[in-house]
Amino acid sequence: MNALGVSTFIWTSPFGNEKLYLAAHAKKLGCDVLEICIEDPSLVSAERVRSAAEEAQVGISVCGAFGPDRDVSHEDSDRRQSGIDYLKTCIEIAEAVNSPLVAGPMYSATGKTRLLTPNDREQQRRWATESLREVASYAGERGVSLAIEPLNRFETDLVNTVDQGLDLCERIGADNVGLLLDTFHMNIEEKFIPHAVRAAGDRVFHVHACENDRGTPGSGHVDWDGLFAALREIDYSGQLVIESFTPTIMEIARAVSLWRPLAASDDDLARDGLAFLRERLEE
Amino acid sequence: MSFKYSYNALVYYGEAIETSVERLAHLGYDAIELVGEPDQYDTSEVTRLTTEAGISVSSICSIYTAERDLAHPDRRMRTQAIDYVRRVADFAAAVGAPTMIIAPTACMKIQRLAAAEDEWRWAVEGMRIGGEYAASLGVNLALECWNRYETYFLNRLGEAVTMWQDTGLTNGGVMGDTFHMNIEERSIPDSLRLAGPLLSHIHIADSNRAAPGEGHIDFLPILEALAEVGYAGYLSFELLPAAADPFGTLRAGGGTEFFDAYTRQAIEQMRAVERELAGERR
Repeated sequence: MNALGVSTFIWTSPFGNEKLYLAAHAKKLGCDVLEICIEDPSLVSAERVRSAAEEAQVGISVCGAFGPDRDVSHEDSDRRQSGIDYLKTCIEIAEAVNSPLVAGPMYSATGKTRLLTPNDREQQRRWATESLREVASYAGERGVSLAIEPLNRFETDLVNTVDQGLDLCERIGADNVGLLLDTFHMNIEEKFIPHAVRAAGDRVFHVHACENDRGTPGSGHVDWDGLFAALREIDYSGQLVIESFTPTIMEIARAVSLWRPLAASDDDLARDGLAFLRERLEE
Repeated sequence: MSFKYSYNALVYYGEAIETSVERLAHLGYDAIELVGEPDQYDTSEVTRLTTEAGISVSSICSIYTAERDLAHPDRRMRTQAIDYVRRVADFAAAVGAPTMIIAPTACMKIQRLAAAEDEWRWAVEGMRIGGEYAASLGVNLALECWNRYETYFLNRLGEAVTMWQDTGLTNGGVMGDTFHMNIEERSIPDSLRLAGPLLSHIHIADSNRAAPGEGHIDFLPILEALAEVGYAGYLSFELLPAAADPFGTLRAGGGTEFFDAYTRQAIEQMRAVERELAGERR
């Protein structure tokens, strides 16, 4: 059975050492893994994360956050370099906390939704490819994989669909580069989610199991049966992580356009969502 | 029952209206939905063209920019927004459209400018004033929700029902758009049932905002719910290119499939769903 987890975004932003009580808390709610997002690396001590995780007996999964200064496909080479440097930091953290991967929309700064000419778009893809090739090799030396996440049209203009994600993987051409599939984004962009999962096949490195409104999995209209059947078909053995966001922190609410509470409490969303996913996986 | 179909001319960017009207009449549409920019139309010309083609104007798709914000803290801005509502109502009446869309605030505004209660109160007030004017012309309102990326204000039909009830208006109600609902509602058919008799307009698009059949929305239970609540209005296709700024794509000459190809596919797909529904009932 796949390891199940939740993202710390359900409770907090930015994640840091003082939030490490969440490891034991998440375990209690039914988690096998806790996904931490490295918004500010200076707030996160890999050492302390590892010991908190060991103590709580949960695995750690590392996800990146890509603000304007961490943009591996920016026209300015300094910005690209700071994006590369940031990803290398995430990889070092992942290695130290035994996260098999670094995940996220690492190909661009999130929130860029520009209309580009085909030539400019191609140039942006080339920069993303070149930067991520370097990052992939750095990750490979440390036994870490990259899981690239397509985002919906309102959050990025570069990789919206699995097809576009696969194209980027192919351009990078490294064995340790695959995709993170997030069902919230797929619900908007994919013609049919199970087909997209099958098309991604063994390039599916990581999954965000989210409801169509980012509420508790099982409470909305995502076709979970279709998703799980497709994941079984491709022998997906990775993690399933619930990613949602607390609406109580203005910055993160605005970043992901979340304006209302999605469950009675953050804990309910995690607990009930995990129980739902576990039940379906055991069927 | 059989549904009436309309197509939002928003996506026919840069096209002469006679071309749009001809296409829709030719493909079996009952009506056209026009863009809420009254100055861009010659209303007697619109009436002549639609009458000749044998179709109606179903509705006016109002365009809520930052200059047309019923919930703005500045009274002058609110007055300006109410004036816009009145102008669209005049336009609707002049072209014989039974329905005009209304929204409490600007599209793509995702940050409050005042306290939630004040914004709600101002929006309700403006909508009431504009709505009473529309009523005097025999025009109904349809209060629309947008997905979270386009507004922080009304994302779900249930919230729109509450706002509509607060206005006390009786000419119209709320509207659902399947593209937005696919993101925000836990069950599209259940939300439509909940709005029930207050549904005054429907926008149809598939999950990726393309023509039905291009995405994964199951339209059968949606039509079933609409039939069940006795919805007698139009199903109007609001299809738009896959971009945060779909109009940028159109301006750059993209989205050509939204003209002939999707206009044809949209009505054919929905008619097929209607036949399926009828078959299921027999």
